[in-house]
Amino acid sequence: MLKVKKLLLLLFAVPLLLLVACNNEDETSAPEMDKEAMENFNETGYPIVDEPITINFMTRKPPTTADDYNDVLVWKTYEEKTNIKIDWGLVPSEGFEEKSNLSLAGGDYPEAFYTAKFSDVDIMKYGEQGVFLELNELIDKYMPNVKQLFSEHPEIKKALTNADGKIYSLPTVYSPDFTSMTSNIKPWIRQDWLDQLNMEMPQTTEEFYQYLKAVKETDLNGNGKADEIPYGNNSVAGLIGWLKGAYGIGNKGRKQGFVDLDPKTNKLRFYWTTDRWKEMLEYINKLYSEGLINKTIFTMETNEYHETGSQGLYGSTVTTSPETRFGRDEYVGMPQLEGPHGDKDWVYVTAPVVHKAAFVITDKNKNPAATARWIDYFYGDEGAKLFFMGVEGETYEETDNGELEYVDMLTDNPDGLTFEQALRPYITWLGGGYPALVQSDYFKGAENSPASIEATKKIEPDIIEETWPSFPFTVEENQRLAALKADIEKYVIEMQDKFIAGEEPFSEWDKYVETVEKMGLEEYMEIQQAGYERFKES
Amino acid sequence: MKNRGLSDKTFDRINKLFVTFIVLIVVYPLIFVISASISDPGAVSTGKMWLWPVDITLEGFKRVFQNQDIWTGYRNTIFYTLLGTLIHLFILLPCAYALSRKELKGKKIILWFILFTMLFNGGMIPTYLVVKTLGMLDTVWAIVIPNVVGAWSILVARAFFQQTIPNDLVEASKIDGASDFHIFRKIVLPLSLPIIAVMALFHAVSLWNQYFSALIYLSDRDMYPLQLILREILIVNQMGLEEGSAGVMESLVEQVKTASLVKYAVIIVSTLPLLIVYPFLQRFFVKGVLIGSVKE
Amino acid sequence: MKSNGEQLNIPYSKNRKFYRAKKNLFLNWQLYVFLLPALTYFFIIHYIPMYGVQIAFKDFIATKGILGSPWTGFDHFERFFNSYYFWRLLKNTLAINFYQLLLFPLPIIFALMLNELRNGAFKKWSQTLTYAPHFISVVVLVGMLVAFLDPLTGLVNNAIVALGGESVPFLTSPEWFRHIYVWSGEWQALGWGTIIYLAALAGVNPELHEAAKVDGATRMQRILRINLPSILPTVVILFILDIGKFMSIGFEKVLLMQNSLNSETSDIIQTFVYETGLLEGQYSFAAAIGLFDSIINIILLVIVNQIARKTSENSLW
Repeated sequence: MLKVKKLLLLLFAVPLLLLVACNNEDETSAPEMDKEAMENFNETGYPIVDEPITINFMTRKPPTTADDYNDVLVWKTYEEKTNIKIDWGLVPSEGFEEKSNLSLAGGDYPEAFYTAKFSDVDIMKYGEQGVFLELNELIDKYMPNVKQLFSEHPEIKKALTNADGKIYSLPTVYSPDFTSMTSNIKPWIRQDWLDQLNMEMPQTTEEFYQYLKAVKETDLNGNGKADEIPYGNNSVAGLIGWLKGAYGIGNKGRKQGFVDLDPKTNKLRFYWTTDRWKEMLEYINKLYSEGLINKTIFTMETNEYHETGSQGLYGSTVTTSPETRFGRDEYVGMPQLEGPHGDKDWVYVTAPVVHKAAFVITDKNKNPAATARWIDYFYGDEGAKLFFMGVEGETYEETDNGELEYVDMLTDNPDGLTFEQALRPYITWLGGGYPALVQSDYFKGAENSPASIEATKKIEPDIIEETWPSFPFTVEENQRLAALKADIEKYVIEMQDKFIAGEEPFSEWDKYVETVEKMGLEEYMEIQQAGYERFKES
Repeated sequence: MKNRGLSDKTFDRINKLFVTFIVLIVVYPLIFVISASISDPGAVSTGKMWLWPVDITLEGFKRVFQNQDIWTGYRNTIFYTLLGTLIHLFILLPCAYALSRKELKGKKIILWFILFTMLFNGGMIPTYLVVKTLGMLDTVWAIVIPNVVGAWSILVARAFFQQTIPNDLVEASKIDGASDFHIFRKIVLPLSLPIIAVMALFHAVSLWNQYFSALIYLSDRDMYPLQLILREILIVNQMGLEEGSAGVMESLVEQVKTASLVKYAVIIVSTLPLLIVYPFLQRFFVKGVLIGSVKE
Repeated sequence: MKSNGEQLNIPYSKNRKFYRAKKNLFLNWQLYVFLLPALTYFFIIHYIPMYGVQIAFKDFIATKGILGSPWTGFDHFERFFNSYYFWRLLKNTLAINFYQLLLFPLPIIFALMLNELRNGAFKKWSQTLTYAPHFISVVVLVGMLVAFLDPLTGLVNNAIVALGGESVPFLTSPEWFRHIYVWSGEWQALGWGTIIYLAALAGVNPELHEAAKVDGATRMQRILRINLPSILPTVVILFILDIGKFMSIGFEKVLLMQNSLNSETSDIIQTFVYETGLLEGQYSFAAAIGLFDSIINIILLVIVNQIARKTSENSLW
């Protein structure tokens, strides 16, 4: 028996030792730019480097993009311009999370991560350890476009700054004036039904209710069946996002889904337990229980939503654009509704920084300055034009009034390819998550269609002035918050649906509030408060 | 056979009836998937299509086969599956047989050694590091080796051997001077065709369906297995729902429709080869009769 | 228990045990060689990475590696146990698994039935067809469920309404979740599950049947007295191994079927791990819960194996 024990001990000890041994890999020294690299590098002008260099990336590759980025027109063009060759290290998007983690754990991570979408927690963790390079100085010295962006929109800089006051990542950022993008999910209504019912465009929650009721009671499509669905969707999120503004809650935008600023006290508040939240749920519950909302709203799949939508059965909905999703043109955008207390704010707007870490430079990078200049380009007009539109004459043309348009070969492909398929050899922005500035002049995606812009005009006057990004938390705060979120946020969302569906009566409201408090709301708010203060001061 | 009484006849009928009933129930989703892959997606999602195809379209298959990578995918997957299954059997069968023998000492420790791996594992990261250290990254071995055999198969195969290999036969052969190698080759393997077929099938199917190892261990696109290619096709066709990611205009409506067609077409494309292979394996399930003949 | 060593006349001594072991090794060395490939494989691919289990007691930071990450003790476990949802998660996970376990006999029964079919096209087809649904992905399966059970347009509810009943919101009621989950799983897996039993049945000695026929046993009697006992060892082993995986449910299907309204019964440990893990990339937390599951599994496994050994001849060890 003793022998067996010894043997077992050996069996377990050997691998441990082995791994201790192979884990003590080379400690990489901080990337001092060596002289040679600096001599090769040009601080301004092009090419960025005199002698060609190669930088290796790890890139999240959405399946819509080309299989080899070095064959893509945009990148070929840019390589010629800069003398920098990129070794892209493409990883299919669904495996990126694991792959990037494995590379960080195995110590063989690349010089930079592209279209990475690292979480705030990861940015902070790896930034603190020096794996992700601090970018403040690089931005200052070599990134004029980012710098200009910061000075024009200080909120973007704020959003990127972490709890330790440093910036470790570059974002996917929507230009704040591109409102049709920042408020891309909007309410829509069937204009022809309004006309048939002889109703004006609803301006208040009460008028909206009247419209829904009228749709329910009238056979508007004249097929003899009561198949009209006054409000239809495959999730309640859109409706709530829109109605929040009518009840004066969630007033700091979509990125802050749980806290906002109490207008009375000017303090941070958890708005999911406020009376206003309750009132809003009561309103939606009324719609639901009277059959004005499709009963399948909690379970419906996207396909079915689109299918029913394409039959024109919805009297109203909240989505990006019924034109592109349902292929129906009877829908027009709706304004922000006014609530019972006179609130009328459009709060369903996202902060400009949508992905905080679309790009990071690691400590393995041998040419941080060159890399910085390389990526900076895409935060300026010229780079954005190249990135989204490609090369003039090949992929786009300028019309007489100065607008940019993709060439016919792409929009109406002679080989019958869809627009996305035709674009594949030329650009790589399809799939999202890219580090670049999205502006309406150069971005010809779905959010920039005429109907979307038209609808945006209706809500534009009511858009809130300030949108908060996510707050900067320290690593410890993040850890604590993760646990609290897992309980509190999960619970309130679940209860929201139950209240709406009438599974939970409103008489239980007090108990609900009590439960949330018991789950540690106080601590949750303390952490949020700390993050908020840090955000305010940055 | 003459002696089959009335009750046996009724038994036959009732049995047949039951089996037919179950087959009908179980086969229904199959028909649904086939029909859905060629029906108008609108009719599918709204429940109008529930058995036979409605408004037939081949757009889904067209989309799947538009992708040239799919053939490389097939080739790779077939190669991985064949190689992996062979190695699987090569490791599994001797081990399971040895464990089924009474004369093997220290069985309990060995069994626990194996069983333990079913209950605990070190997780993805250390496994990756081992695979990397062994130099298997970006080779076929990374796909084939890390899950080549599991505790489950060994223990099930062992139970089969214990049950079907007559102990007397083995002992008699041993006394006649036959080596274990010889016994294994000449007696055990021929007697165990059903379990070999089952184990090969199970492992082949899991290899056929796996995509995650490929995702982690392979970076060369030319080595991607079929499932990874199919997942890409599937996701490509569901794109456009994330903001800032999609192209323009009308195409989205059509795109969403093809997405659901593709969803069903992909299942057919990926399973058809397995369904074709199955009847061939099936023959081995009835080879049990051999026992008698070997004994003679 | 007769072993080769005992037949040899060895005088009793302290060394006897050792001597016998040596003798055994000498006589049966080939059997040990048979074990080698498998044991080497398990050692390298499974045991060497086993040090990764400690991640559950650490705060994993990728660049520091598993060994270099700081210890946190039982923090992750405490967090899990202290979660508001802990009991609900545990209850639901156990309930679904017990339910599934109740259906364990179905593939056995179906295999016995298939086995009784005389060879021919019908047998062949019924086997091939029933095994095919195994390959339908969960996304599609759940898609089908949603379509069939839709309160307005779904086949099932249309039938209920046509028969004078009232439409049932199957997918949003907590009472229905388990039934739908488990039975739809069985629907898909039944044919696949029979394969292994069919293989076991193929190993039944035909002489036994011949003898029984001569004795005038009916088909039913032969199934119960010959076929069933013959495959019983396989059944027991499979049952024990099933128990060894008791706590693991594929989260994908549950996640797809889950919504706020049915989460009272549909919220399970695996979906919780997925959601919280996904949220923050918390490898350590997920590993801690995984370890918790493994420990429950191992306890159950030992208990069930013990029972099996006492009540039947068959057990894993």
